[in-house]
Formats: sequence, C-alpha cells, structure tokens
Amino acid sequence: MDLNATPRLAPGCRLHPTEPVLLIPEGTLKLQGPAREILAYLDGKQSVASIVDELAKQYEGVDSADIQQDVLSLLDRMEQRGVVRV
Amino acid sequence: MSCGSKRMPANSQSPPPPKPFSLIAEITHRCPLHCLYCSNPLELQRADEEISTGDWKRVFQQAAQLGILHLHLTGGEPLARKDLAELISAARDAGLYVNMITSGVGLSEERLAVLVDAGLEHLQLSFQDLDETTANHIAGTRAHALKLALIPILKKYPLAFTVNLVVHRMNLDRLEAFIALAEEFAPDRLEIAHVQYYGWALKNRSLLMPTQEQVDRSLPIIEAAKERLKGRIHLEAVFPDYFGSFPKACVGGWGRQMMLIDPVGQALPCHAAAVIPGLQFDNVRERDLAWIWESSPAFNRFRGDAWMPETCLACPRKERDFGGCRCQAVLLTGDAEAIDPVCQYSSHHELLKLLRRPSENPLPIWRG
Repeated sequence: MDLNATPRLAPGCRLHPTEPVLLIPEGTLKLQGPAREILAYLDGKQSVASIVDELAKQYEGVDSADIQQDVLSLLDRMEQRGVVRV
Repeated sequence: MSCGSKRMPANSQSPPPPKPFSLIAEITHRCPLHCLYCSNPLELQRADEEISTGDWKRVFQQAAQLGILHLHLTGGEPLARKDLAELISAARDAGLYVNMITSGVGLSEERLAVLVDAGLEHLQLSFQDLDETTANHIAGTRAHALKLALIPILKKYPLAFTVNLVVHRMNLDRLEAFIALAEEFAPDRLEIAHVQYYGWALKNRSLLMPTQEQVDRSLPIIEAAKERLKGRIHLEAVFPDYFGSFPKACVGGWGRQMMLIDPVGQALPCHAAAVIPGLQFDNVRERDLAWIWESSPAFNRFRGDAWMPETCLACPRKERDFGGCRCQAVLLTGDAEAIDPVCQYSSHHELLKLLRRPSENPLPIWRG
C-alpha cells in the first residue's frame, strides 16, 4: 500500500458500532490500539497520506513518521487478509 | 470452577457459560436441491410448522442482547421464505451481521437487490462440481447453470461473496480445476469443505468417502492455492474428519460459541444434535434465548468436562477440542459420551480405517 492509495473496507466488512471489532464474513477481527480509529477513516476517497495527517493533528507530540508506519503496517496486514481493498 | 467434584451436573457449575458468537437460523427445511451430502436431519421439519416472522424477529433481538454478532441464515433454502427480506432487515436493526447460505436457485436480480437493500452483507454459494452433468447429479436437480448465471449479478452488489466447494470422492481428483473455476468467479472467500457425515450424508457415506490417496494429493494443492490467492481470495479449507488423528473442536465446543434454531423454533447446540438420544430441545416460542443458552439441559449436557471419559479428562487437548464431536461419537460408537472416534486414543479409531476403505459401486441415494 502506498501513501496515495485510497483504501476502503472490503464488501461485507464493517466496524462494530461500539466494540473494537471489525465484523467480517464468518468472523471478527479484534482491533487493538488505534486500529479502530484508523479503519474508521477508510472511505475509498481519502488517501493514506491524508489519514496520517488527520491522525498527526489529533496526536500532537507523536512523530508523524511513526504514525505513518503504524497506518501502513495495519493497512498492509488488513489488505493481505482481504478485508481492506485499494 | 467452584465445585470440587468432576461428576457434579454441568448446570451447577460456575462460572456461567461464555457468550455465544453466532446464531445459525435454519429458517426453513424446504429446498429445491436434493444433495447427496445434505447434512440436514433425515426427518425434515414441515413447512406448515415453521415459526413466524414475529418469532424470528424476537429471536434476533434476543440474540443481539445475548452478545451474538453473526447471523447465518440457512435452511434448506432460505429463499423459500417469502418474508426473507423482512427477516434480514429485522436482524440488521437488532445489530447482527447477516450472512445467507443459499443454493441461489430462485434468486433473481430483483430479489437480490431487495435483500441487499434490507441489509444482507455476505452470501455463500456452494458448487457441487465444476462439470454441469456431475454437479446436477450430486445436487439431484439442474442447479449448476443457474448458479453460474448468478455470479455476474452478485458481483454488481456491495456484499461479500463466498464460493463453497463441497468435495468428496466423486470430485476430489478434479480439485485443481475446481479451484481454478472458483477463481474465475473472483469471490472474496473460497471455502473447500469435505462432506461431513451427518444427516442425509451418512446414507451416502460409502459413495462419497474419499480415498487416502485423494486426500493426500489434495492437501498440497490446497496449500499452494492459499499461497497463490493470498490478498485476493481468502481460502479456508476443512480437513475431512475421518482422516484425522485428533478431533476438531466441533462447533467451537458444545454450548460455547454457537446456537442453532431449527425451522420450528427448537434451539440446538449443533445442527446434528437431534441424533443424541435423550436430548430435549427448548423452543424459542416458549423460552427466551438467554435462558436457553444458560439453562437449557441440552446446552449444558456436554459443557465443561464433567461428562468426559477418563482419557479425555486427563488429556491436555481437552482445552483445545473440548472433547470433539458428540454426534460423531454417538453415530459411530452408539455412545454419546465415548471418546470421539477420530481421536487416536479412541478404542473405535480403527473403525475409521474400515469406513475409509472404498466400497464397491455404491449407489447414490437422493432424498425423496
């Protein structure tokens, strides 16, 4: 996944309204730390770079390079698992 | 566990059972297909005794309150229920994730659009074979072409799509081509499931049982496909029970993860549980789901380890397989409390070797 990509959740995948859980076909993925917040940004329009910017604004004092790395690593794993699409 | 004795009845145990994760709703046993490997019971529930739309709506609300996340609408053929869209909509309103397992027979684009609009999120379509003649032979009806025609329509709608390949002796030699065909459909998920010998399928066991050679050849094919499809199609494969050395955690453990409601409202811990003598199933017409989950004698019957034979009690694997499959134990040994015969420590394990031996030209038996 690169910074210009505009990922979205795959069909049939959605965030649980209250729990830190991604509902997927035949199962759930437990979301840890900021994962839920990151996935909540995915709409198929917003780029990864812009999501990183948004998060950097919210988490003042956190190095945006670290945020970028966390976001890319989460999205790569989710893409491999087939629950995030570019 | 607060009580000291291993032989205390399970329903006096604390802590309370874990919360269920999924609800399987067999909304009807009516089905246009007559698959040789049908896992539904021999005695199907009658259409005029099916529970009402209102009953199901209440069940879905109670299920969500109980913490259930996933609803699997199945049958028979769920499309046979005229109130299907209403049921889907009620389940989504309750907060459930809605999956439907269907033959696709009778699913027009108009109806699919209505179901997706109602909130259907995932659809599972199974294929009996890659060749039309054999697929129809196995399904006992001409369904294959209808399924093929449905795929481009499904792809137009925003829902997850799983292709389910049911494998057995008659098609396992064509597994590579079968996977290649499924790949062309470009589903989100691909399930390769061996026939499980419960319900009607048990009648056709000698016809459908794969050979050891077939199973051995299939495993690397599946592994290679998993690797090749990674990131595109999520592949899950179910290993054939009779070829194992240790049992599976059947339904994630008895009364641990899932609950099944049959067409007349009976609540079962698994879809084959009616084969176990002496089990009585509470009905959602009379009891709410939370009561059934916690207090129904059928759900408590094999919870925990109080029922287990000594070998299982002493075995560390009991934390992983929860004693395996009770239905398999009763079907193969006559004793529902016996060690699952798939386990190498079962005195009946040798029986599986006999049952795996190909028999001579068995004839298919279709449901009438």
